[in-house]
Amino acid sequence: MSLARAIVVLLSLLLVQCRAERDPSSAFPRAETLYVGGRQWGEPRSFNPLISSPDWPIDGINLLYETLFFYDWQTGKMEPLLAESYTLSDDSLEVVLNPAARWNDGQPVTGWDVKFTFELAKKYKALKLAPLWKYIREVRLPDEPSDIRTAALGGRYPRHVVFVFNPERRNPLVVLDALQEATQARIVPRHVIEPLLAGLGGDMNEFAKLKFDQNPVTSGPYRLFSYSSEKIVLVRDDAYWGNQALYGGKLPAPKYIIHPIYKSGDHFSVALQQGRLDVSCTFVPRIWLKRSKGVRSWYENEPFFVSLATPMLAINVNHRPLDDVKMRRAMAFAINYRDIRELAVSGYSKPLRPGLIVPFGPEAKYYSEEDAQKYGTYYDPEQAKALLREAGYRPVFGADGELVETRDAQGNRLPTIYVKSPTGWSDYESIVRIAVQSMRKVGIDARERFVDAGLYWPAQFTGDFDLLLFMPPPEPTPSKPWSRFEFLLTSKEWAPEGEKVYKNYGRFNHRGSPDYDPRIDELLELIPKLHDEGEIVAAYRELNVLFMRYQPTLPVVYRPDQFFEVSLRHWTHFPTAEDPYVPPQIPGDRLGTKMLWHLQPTGKN
Amino acid sequence: MLRNHPTLRHMVGRMGWYLLTFLVAVTINFFLPRLGDANPVDTMMAKVSGSLDSQSAKDKEEAYLKEFGLVEVDSDGTLQRDAAGKPIRTSLASQFGRYLAKSLRGDLGTSILQHPKRVSEIIKTALPWTLALQLPTIVLGWIAGNLLGALAAYRRGVFDRVFYPLALLASAVPAFCVGILLVYLFGIRLEWFPAVGGYDDGMVPSWSWGFLESASYYYVLPFLSIFLIVVGGQAIGMRSMCIYELGTDYVKYAKLLGIRESKILLYMFRNAMLPQLTGLALALGTMVGGALITEMIFSYPGLGMAVLTAIQGNDYPLITGCTLLVTTCVLVANFSVDVLIGFLDPRIRAAHAGGAA
Repeated sequence: MSLARAIVVLLSLLLVQCRAERDPSSAFPRAETLYVGGRQWGEPRSFNPLISSPDWPIDGINLLYETLFFYDWQTGKMEPLLAESYTLSDDSLEVVLNPAARWNDGQPVTGWDVKFTFELAKKYKALKLAPLWKYIREVRLPDEPSDIRTAALGGRYPRHVVFVFNPERRNPLVVLDALQEATQARIVPRHVIEPLLAGLGGDMNEFAKLKFDQNPVTSGPYRLFSYSSEKIVLVRDDAYWGNQALYGGKLPAPKYIIHPIYKSGDHFSVALQQGRLDVSCTFVPRIWLKRSKGVRSWYENEPFFVSLATPMLAINVNHRPLDDVKMRRAMAFAINYRDIRELAVSGYSKPLRPGLIVPFGPEAKYYSEEDAQKYGTYYDPEQAKALLREAGYRPVFGADGELVETRDAQGNRLPTIYVKSPTGWSDYESIVRIAVQSMRKVGIDARERFVDAGLYWPAQFTGDFDLLLFMPPPEPTPSKPWSRFEFLLTSKEWAPEGEKVYKNYGRFNHRGSPDYDPRIDELLELIPKLHDEGEIVAAYRELNVLFMRYQPTLPVVYRPDQFFEVSLRHWTHFPTAEDPYVPPQIPGDRLGTKMLWHLQPTGKN
Repeated sequence: MLRNHPTLRHMVGRMGWYLLTFLVAVTINFFLPRLGDANPVDTMMAKVSGSLDSQSAKDKEEAYLKEFGLVEVDSDGTLQRDAAGKPIRTSLASQFGRYLAKSLRGDLGTSILQHPKRVSEIIKTALPWTLALQLPTIVLGWIAGNLLGALAAYRRGVFDRVFYPLALLASAVPAFCVGILLVYLFGIRLEWFPAVGGYDDGMVPSWSWGFLESASYYYVLPFLSIFLIVVGGQAIGMRSMCIYELGTDYVKYAKLLGIRESKILLYMFRNAMLPQLTGLALALGTMVGGALITEMIFSYPGLGMAVLTAIQGNDYPLITGCTLLVTTCVLVANFSVDVLIGFLDPRIRAAHAGGAA
């Protein structure tokens, strides 16, 4: 009895105490701390720059390790980072390093470091950068001092790095991609990594167990301060070489950058509207309602975000009736893309256009509305029905108006088409539901098949699906849209169903099949080699028309590859559509890094 | 020797059963997650294969399979392959053998999804939060619930008529519902309490006043979300137990004898407590599994989330590590209650003594 009373008293005391203003005895002053969110979901486990998916801020982020260049998709140009410039010739690409670039232990960033980083991926095939070696033959250092010992004493080191193309697969686009891609080509310090690796007998699997969480040698503007299962904290490195060399002597405004680790997107969204988070790249539902809380996105109004990524339905062209172009095109006419855009992605994108080229942003110059009108598919159920009739397919509807089955010209029942998607991914589930519903309406016997993510991933590679919802690599890189076409259409990585392929999941355009169209592979080979802008546009148009005619996959909607929301409560001068000084990317993510030198604290608590 | 120590014999007998239960549970814990078609290496490959060509992807996959002991390796560490050049998968039975041998040495293995973190390391960081969230909540809730329940049964009248429906409501509402309501009302609408996290993001955990204050401020809503439910559930149980005891012969007899009311209450309370004790033990045992719902709603650190992501990603070592912990704790808690009841309940003592006679 008395204990119960004590508890009640204790609790009410606690309540009163908590209502009172708390003493801001925070370790990280709010006006000097930028909170970012959405890139780290689980407990931090490793900051090793050579493993395949290290934690924030190593993976895809330029705050600790850096790339040679930034890619600005708004201008289509490579912006200098560790490298000042590059020149492209017929057989190679030459990069010149910034003479000011330094590791945080004072050593210069040299051509040796760059060569070492790339050659690691030649030796260790499991590194993300490894596939690049199909396209390059050698990394050369033309200004390497002949006598390394005296050079080291005199502080001389190579600053020119030449990537020599493989003459059989000359493809500058792929090489340019690698030079700016912080998920793959983080330049690492040779003087640290080489001895470590040698000490482990060159065993990369053993090396992957090192965590690199104690004062790692890096070249970027921040250092790892601390980490726990609740957050990762970075602290500004005031001696960062780029402050002088790239930003005119300015320091980045936030002294600390903290990435809190929450368990779901909702928490990032709540934290954002409460001003506990300053920048986030998570999905925030109904963002217009958060305006009054000082939250905004890239555009003030609809569509709010820049949507350069395209989720799509892969079609297994070996499965009947999906081997029939008419059936595939009928599906493309049947799907209600507007509903998908409005219901499944909150209207956060512009309407879908036919083909594989995104009609706005960096790819707009390759897009032809004329071709789209002439060859493309769009939501038109009547056309879908007409195509089905023309191909001899006959839907059978029950008395209740619901589709029972689809029959072919001989009157045999067609197998049901199952659309595979991971269970519990709510946006994917709504896309699939809408697609299935609209296909059934015109008489295509499609059904949802939601499976455990553990079964979804292998099915993607082995071809164990009829239709499967997925998203090709979404990041805007110098090689887009070529790399998207290549990822979806190349016949080079073909393997029979049951074996794994990591491109062209639908196994379209197999070389051995009777309807192989060699023109597609030719164009994929040709485009990266072209210089003339007119020729490039023509080639893309031709390739896109081929895609529209064969319809080997079904793009369903555009969506942002990264969301970008900011809270204006504690920091201002974020980039926006009205002031697009960098693209909508969170700090550290590619060019979004530069915003750190622009931000200003509001001084509010 | 045991003949003369009925309580000891009771304990040894129980221990035998618990050991058997433990072995069965460990076996099930090992095999159950591994019976499905899904495989953690595929999940990992999905994350990394986007940029890889088919050959490098295959190499990488084999490196993972080797790392996690899912394929056969020679003594010098090279993969064994079948005629078609595919790596030979290790059979489940021999995986189980290796797992048992390692576990006995206290090695729970390396997490697959959180590679290269050790399972024991993950448990070690999450467990304190889980205990801090649940131990006080369950114990305080249990005490408060039992007192209130006994009071309601004894006093009856208005107190009972108001309290009983409230307790029923509290125990019947699902945990996530209470949690979400609390967050929505106090975290988002009124902004009295933080909606997310275990302490201020600008803090570093330490034994300072500032931190403890922040942590207790953040503690209120998660605490209440479990506390209310525990109080409700316990109170209902205790109330009906007490009402039952009030009608028993010994209470009537004691009243006839004119024994003091507080003395009678004490008798009654002791008897009514026994089933409640078992409930407490079970709650404390399963506690280490983490309060998943609460952790998810409040983004509170703890084991629940680790278990969930492990299961979703088929992280075998982490799943078996966590289930091993839960199994052990449940069994230990149960065993302690058995022992405790052996001491507390004269009927059990008597039964064993009688059996020996």
